[in-house]
Formats: sequence, C-alpha cells, structure tokens
Amino acid sequence: MRNLRLRNTLFRLLFLAGFAGVPLTLALGHEGHHVKCNGTTINAVKADIQAMGEGEAKTLATNELQAARDMMAKNDTEGCKSHIHSAMEATEK
Amino acid sequence: MSFWDPGWRLVIGTLVVLAGVVAVAIYEGLYNIAADVPHTQPVYWLLETARERSVAVRARDIVVPNDLDDANRISKGRIFGDVQWRHLAPGMERTEISGGLYPRAPELRRGTDLTPAEQFWIIKHGVKQTGMPAWGVTHDDELLWDVVAFVRKLPELTAEQYETMVKTAPKHEELMREMEPRAGSHHGDHSHE
Repeated sequence: MRNLRLRNTLFRLLFLAGFAGVPLTLALGHEGHHVKCNGTTINAVKADIQAMGEGEAKTLATNELQAARDMMAKNDTEGCKSHIHSAMEATEK
Repeated sequence: MSFWDPGWRLVIGTLVVLAGVVAVAIYEGLYNIAADVPHTQPVYWLLETARERSVAVRARDIVVPNDLDDANRISKGRIFGDVQWRHLAPGMERTEISGGLYPRAPELRRGTDLTPAEQFWIIKHGVKQTGMPAWGVTHDDELLWDVVAFVRKLPELTAEQYETMVKTAPKHEELMREMEPRAGSHHGDHSHE
C-alpha cells in the first residue's frame, strides 16, 4: 500500500516536471527564429543577398539590410532587428 | 618611342610600385578570408564573373543527352543524398551547413540560370574554393547526367514528391555497381565533352 502511494506520488511529480519543461522547450524551439543585431548576423544576411538573383526581392533585402546597419549605428537595437528580419524574409522569397 | 623615354619609365615604375603594394598586402594578411565576412561587392563581382565565364567557356562544346526528362534518369540522379544539406531539397529550411558556407551553395529547389551543359561541367569538375567537389573523379558521365536530370527536376517537386522519390530511388551502392561495367568501355569520360 505504501509502495503504491509512493509510486503514485512519483508519477505525479514526473507529470508535473514534464509540464514545467514544456514552456522551456517551446522557448528554446522558438529561439531559432530570433535575430540578433550584430555584425555576424548582418554579414550572414549580406552573404545570402549576394547569392540572390537580380530582382525585386534582392533590392528589398539590400535596402532592409542597409536600414538595419543605419539603426545599429544609432544604437536602435529593436529597429535593427526588425530590418534584419525583413531582409531575411526577402532573401527567402 | 625608346624604352628609356620618361613615359615608359613612368608606366613601368607605377606597375612595379603597384605589384609591391599588392605583395606587401598579401604577405601582411590584410585581406580577410573568413567565411563569415563576405567579400566586398567589387571582389564578389570579379570572382563571380570569372567563375561564370570559366564554366560557360568550358561547357560550350558539351553534347547534352536528349533524355534528361527520363523518369529513370531523374530517379537515379539522387545518388548524392547528403547534397540536400548544402543545396536544400524542396520543403527544407536552411541548414547549419548551407548557412555557413561562403559563397552560399545554390539552392537547387529555386531553379537555376545554368544550362544543362554548365551544370554537368560543374558537377563533374567541381569549383575551387567553394566546397563543390569534382564528382567526375569517382563517377562516370552517365551517372553525372542522371544528377543533372535530377537537379533540373527539383524545382518542380513538392516536399512530399521529393520524399517519395527519396524512398523509391536506387541506393548509392547499386548505382556504383551499375557504373563498374561501363568503366572499361571508355564510354563515359569523352562522350559528351
């Protein structure tokens, strides 16, 4: 009887631990979509843009990347991230 | 105009000084070759143009087989399975390899401006300083044309169609065994070039 109670308690604890881990897992999974405003990211997007064929998408990506650089120079991190994100989206087109 | 005329001396002197500046810059390691720092646009343009012209000139006399639409060829052409990590198959997100290569490997799912002959030449001979190997060292021309057929079909495929093709495609070992009898016939290397 005592063993059964102990086992039930252990299962409950495991169940709760599993649920507690869900937000962390989701957060880590979502991390891949976050962009950082730094030279490495800007260089990576620049390399993607160089590989694009000429066209509207390339022009858009180039303009967005330049806007991101301008924002970075003004220490506007959020604006920089937003333009990098738009530039990345344009490279995916 | 004599060799010792002031005009000639100026030209030669300028060239010597320029060569000296370039030599010092190279020796001092001034140019950053890191793959995470892209070339400046003029350098990128210069290298791209040199690459495109080099391929176009060498591929212009290659005879293209007329059966690149053949389903059997296309199926066999998926011989290099790991290529999808660099060139991305339909439905794939960018991978760690594709995002870290410089210059970026072409995303084959997006199609290409290259002719079949140019694609064949690149697959066979590879491209220096890009990570593109010369598959012709270990594979015969017939198999490489299968790869061209497959690569040209890729942009038309959905992710599901690609997955089905992967499951039903012949295995690498089977195709290599098929290639062995052809190796003695000398049919491969010079038939299309």
